[in-house]
Amino acid sequence: MTIPKIPVGEMFESLINWFTDNLEMVFDSIGNTVTAILAGLKFLLLLPHPLLMIVLLTALAWWTAKRGVAIFTVLGMLLIYNMGYWTATMETLSLVLASVLIALFIGVPLGIWSAKSDVVERIVRPVLDFMQTLPAFVYLIPAVLFFKLGEVPGVIATLIFSLPPAVRLTSLGIRQVPSEIHEAAISFGSNPRQLLFKAELPVALPTIMAGVNQTIMLALSMVVISGMIGAGGLGNEVLKGITQLKIDIGFEAGISIVILAIFLDRVTQSLTHSDQ
Amino acid sequence: MKKQLLILATGLGLGALMLSGCNPQTVSGKTAELVYVNWAEGVAYTHLAEAVLTEKMGYDVKLTAADVAPGYTAVAQGSHDAFMECWRELHQDYLDRYSDDLVSLGTIYEGTETGLAVPAYVTIDKISELEENADKFGGHITGIDAGAGVMKKTEDELIPAYGLKSIKLMASSGPAMTAALADAVKNKEWIVVTAWKPHWMFGRWDMKFLEQDDDQVIWGKGNIELIGRADLEEDKPELAQFLKNMYLTDAELSDLMVKVNDSDEDVSTVAKKWMQENEEVISDWIPQS
Repeated sequence: MTIPKIPVGEMFESLINWFTDNLEMVFDSIGNTVTAILAGLKFLLLLPHPLLMIVLLTALAWWTAKRGVAIFTVLGMLLIYNMGYWTATMETLSLVLASVLIALFIGVPLGIWSAKSDVVERIVRPVLDFMQTLPAFVYLIPAVLFFKLGEVPGVIATLIFSLPPAVRLTSLGIRQVPSEIHEAAISFGSNPRQLLFKAELPVALPTIMAGVNQTIMLALSMVVISGMIGAGGLGNEVLKGITQLKIDIGFEAGISIVILAIFLDRVTQSLTHSDQ
Repeated sequence: MKKQLLILATGLGLGALMLSGCNPQTVSGKTAELVYVNWAEGVAYTHLAEAVLTEKMGYDVKLTAADVAPGYTAVAQGSHDAFMECWRELHQDYLDRYSDDLVSLGTIYEGTETGLAVPAYVTIDKISELEENADKFGGHITGIDAGAGVMKKTEDELIPAYGLKSIKLMASSGPAMTAALADAVKNKEWIVVTAWKPHWMFGRWDMKFLEQDDDQVIWGKGNIELIGRADLEEDKPELAQFLKNMYLTDAELSDLMVKVNDSDEDVSTVAKKWMQENEEVISDWIPQS
């Protein structure tokens, strides 16, 4: 007895086709928004001379993290500049920042909502699992169908991959707020809005920032994959290195990604711990 | 204090973002959006096309590097003008799938070869000798990405036709295949890989294609074509004509690829120089209006 194959893949394909046929306007306006955000970020990051930008980034590292991180930043960024990957690095940084900004814009409110409602939590959780575990390559073709080639589908694919921790850890953070704080806030007459902004969010902030940190790291891990759909930046340099076995290019661009990753990780991590 | 500063910085950032986001991009007339794959020959002649289009014809050129499938998809969807790397015999799936949305812009290079290749020191010359020497190759053909054209053809046609039983096709990826090849060459070990030409492996190492039996010819010679979106000839007739005119001989393409490979400068600069040194080649490409 043979059971006919369930057309899972075909159903996905027709869904995607339906989307491209009917929602073009929606995708276009999303695409335009993402393009504007990207253009703004890239403009800002490439506006100052690289050396001035290195000073600014180092100052940021010094101010948020420890002196060691600042020293690492200045040396690492100078190395990137010296190897000739400055523009590519700033392009990648703007791609990562755009994805992360949008991820937080969507993820934090969604996280708050799913902390407040068990029903939402039950719906959101499997979707997040799905987003995070489906191999990232699978997103590439729908991303291209919806958003053409280039940086925009790169941001979208990165967004899908990096959004889950922002939602998860926001929800977790708020659910972990001790009930005493809850009761105290309510007994002092807080309305729900005050409860959220004056009590719950400040207490949950370290956990939320840990989510931000993870979101940034996941976004960086998509840099090379999104290079396959024309997102450019360091990802393209790495791909160039590996498709032509130019070990030098692959390694230099790879090292640049690592430097960027360590910088972003340390800076966001120190935001988590300081200021409490 | 830190928090206020952070808020201030974010506010300033967002403000600047909106300002710069609002400026519509000014487009100066003629534009060309070309998609290429990060393969040595395509990188070389696509940047040459960029040089000629910008310097000689006043175009605003945007190059996008992408993988093969997204590349075809983007051009078929009409968001980009041309895909610069069509190997018809290997990419038939994509061409069939998007047959209504794509149009061929002719060949840019003729005489591509595909097949199984070995380093020159390997003492067999024919595909039919593979089976009896399977052990020396470790029992496998080192392949590239599962699903690539060269892989399908090897699996579906070559292996049954030559009755290869003791040697299996192993899928990996282009980079992994070349890395395995580099390692084998260094140690003078026997290796057989799925190969195609033009490819830098033939320049870097002494390689040979294994010959086919006369009655079992699986691999023919082919061409690299440029593929445009279906309405390119109506929208941008001059660009379409230019892409149709583009053609490089083996000697010209090799010369360009070697220069790109050996130079420390970026590809655009090298391509521009090559253009200036080879005016007679590129002058034929520019459409006479």
